[in-house]
Amino acid sequence: MPRPYITSALFLLIALLLSIAVGSIFIPPGELWRVLIGMTTNESFRTIVWDIRLPRTILITLVGAALAGSGAAYQGLFRNPLADPYLIGVASGAGLGAVFALSIQWQYTPLGLLAVPLIAFIASLLTVYLVYMFANIGGVVPTTNLILAGVAFSSFATSLTSFLMLRSTGELRRAIGWLLGGVSLIGWDVTLALIPYLLIGLTTLVLNGYALNILQFGDDQATQMGLNARRTKLIIIVAASLVTAAAVSFAGIIGFVGLVVPHVVRIWWGVDYRRIIPLSIVSGAGLLLLADILARVVIAPQELPLGIITALVGAPFFLWVLRRAKNQGTW
Amino acid sequence: MLRKTLLITLLIALLAACAPQATPTVAPVATDVPATEVVMTEAPTEAPAPAMLSFTDGLGREVKLDGPAQYVISLAPSNTEILFAIGAGSQVVGRDAYSDYPAEARDVTDIGDTYADLNTELIVSLKPDLILAAEINTAEQVKVLEDLGLTVYYLKNPLTLEEMYTNLEIVAQLTGKDATALIDSLKARVAAVDEKIMPLSSRPGVFYEIDGTDPAKPYTAGSGTFINLLIERAGGHNIASDIEGYPQLSLEQVVAADPAFIILGDSAFGVTAESIAARPGWENLSAVKNGQVLPFDDNLLSRPGPRLVDGLEALAELLRPELFK
Repeated sequence: MPRPYITSALFLLIALLLSIAVGSIFIPPGELWRVLIGMTTNESFRTIVWDIRLPRTILITLVGAALAGSGAAYQGLFRNPLADPYLIGVASGAGLGAVFALSIQWQYTPLGLLAVPLIAFIASLLTVYLVYMFANIGGVVPTTNLILAGVAFSSFATSLTSFLMLRSTGELRRAIGWLLGGVSLIGWDVTLALIPYLLIGLTTLVLNGYALNILQFGDDQATQMGLNARRTKLIIIVAASLVTAAAVSFAGIIGFVGLVVPHVVRIWWGVDYRRIIPLSIVSGAGLLLLADILARVVIAPQELPLGIITALVGAPFFLWVLRRAKNQGTW
Repeated sequence: MLRKTLLITLLIALLAACAPQATPTVAPVATDVPATEVVMTEAPTEAPAPAMLSFTDGLGREVKLDGPAQYVISLAPSNTEILFAIGAGSQVVGRDAYSDYPAEARDVTDIGDTYADLNTELIVSLKPDLILAAEINTAEQVKVLEDLGLTVYYLKNPLTLEEMYTNLEIVAQLTGKDATALIDSLKARVAAVDEKIMPLSSRPGVFYEIDGTDPAKPYTAGSGTFINLLIERAGGHNIASDIEGYPQLSLEQVVAADPAFIILGDSAFGVTAESIAARPGWENLSAVKNGQVLPFDDNLLSRPGPRLVDGLEALAELLRPELFK
């Protein structure tokens, strides 16, 4: 795949256009154009495009970018091909928070309506903090400890989530829908709320591409080369967790994107993290948009949870890329 | 110092904005409809403007209509059944995927699965002037639809037959219909059942199965549910009536209570008297031995609409066939 930046940007652009054009209501291309430039007289079409499709499209773009970007950073940080954005407890913490919030009957107030994403967000960051604290031994945070503490905390939180779901009488389907990654809460408020976290977090990750390259030599080597390994790792963990927590809290747990996109980027475009991170961000956004279009179309007029589609489509695609890869084993 | 004061003021303002709204004071209402207050206000202009209708819905939101709703979307099977029962069926332009009764309702446009994702694009394109939500819908769904500029009324679940009648009344007012005749006939039918059942002194035990996928721990309905309410009203004694909600009973509890009747609310999922008898440990129950394991249409008890009365009659007939010959 030549011209990485142009190829991935083109891919994202096509996905964006498709996402605005495709929906359960057919809007002719000419009319769609008039809606977009504000020249339409059809009020329903205007609402459908501007208030339903556009906020959702942007939300999915942001979530895809967040998951793939932080996935790439984690794979670099942990030097582990199985690392994904959920490795150190972000998703299981958010899931626990969300299911807990769903078990409470909230008042119809602005705060009550945002209770689920807010509590998921807080629980998610709290889990990562605890994982980091437990992995920290006398000021040193060995990568292996971080992964193991993450696995332990994830199992703990997942068990608590299952327990809450078993005990609940009503909201079970909502909870399952959330855990499978359903984007039910759409609208501009949610989309706009995500932007600051993603902007700060993803910019930080992109700027740390070179540091990630150096970290590939191991902590000791990196320190000898003049990098403050401990501080760099902390910055990357905080940035990636912030981004993932924000995405997961609003969109539910969407698997596979954060694991697979960085690998595809690596296979196609090489192992330089200064490239892998921005390219993963752009491609991840495009891939999740395509998955979302499928989720809307497959059993229309109903929608499938996004998390089901990403693995269903993502896994075969990844296996295909893996078979064709010329530079096998370049990890 | 000034900066600090400003910061504190800002924080307080933020907190105030986030604080839950104060509960509205309840004004004494003299109408016979307790749950909703209908205010008809004539516009003070000379031109005969349409009367404005104002309601308070089940979430405490104020819902305003320019007049009775003519293009209604129902988000729950119970709401669809209510709309058709009060004669507003022709005003229904959309319904959720589970609304399958009455038969005419199936011809109405399907706007998606209430539990999963509503098809908001389709809803907008149908241009409804009212969306009738129910308790199976979430507050978030109401908010999403409201943000799209649509009018949503959230109908609370009734807990008694009286509250169900009130809901019929509310929906009738929303759609410009009159539910009096319907409510009177429903009340008469309930009274007819009461007349036959009330004098009886014995109350046969009833186990109502909602889901017996795990035969050692079947799900049933306890107090606070219409299933419990109507079993008792139909002259039975629900063996789970001292537990609240939808509990899982252990088979031991069922055996200890040894109900005279086992009613299969899950018969639509293929559970039959034969499959009950084949479950380990169930074969010695009196109901199984006496052939009193009976299939039942669960929709009659699980949808809080006018068909609850059909459910009551059907239950009474199952438990006391000799009185309904």
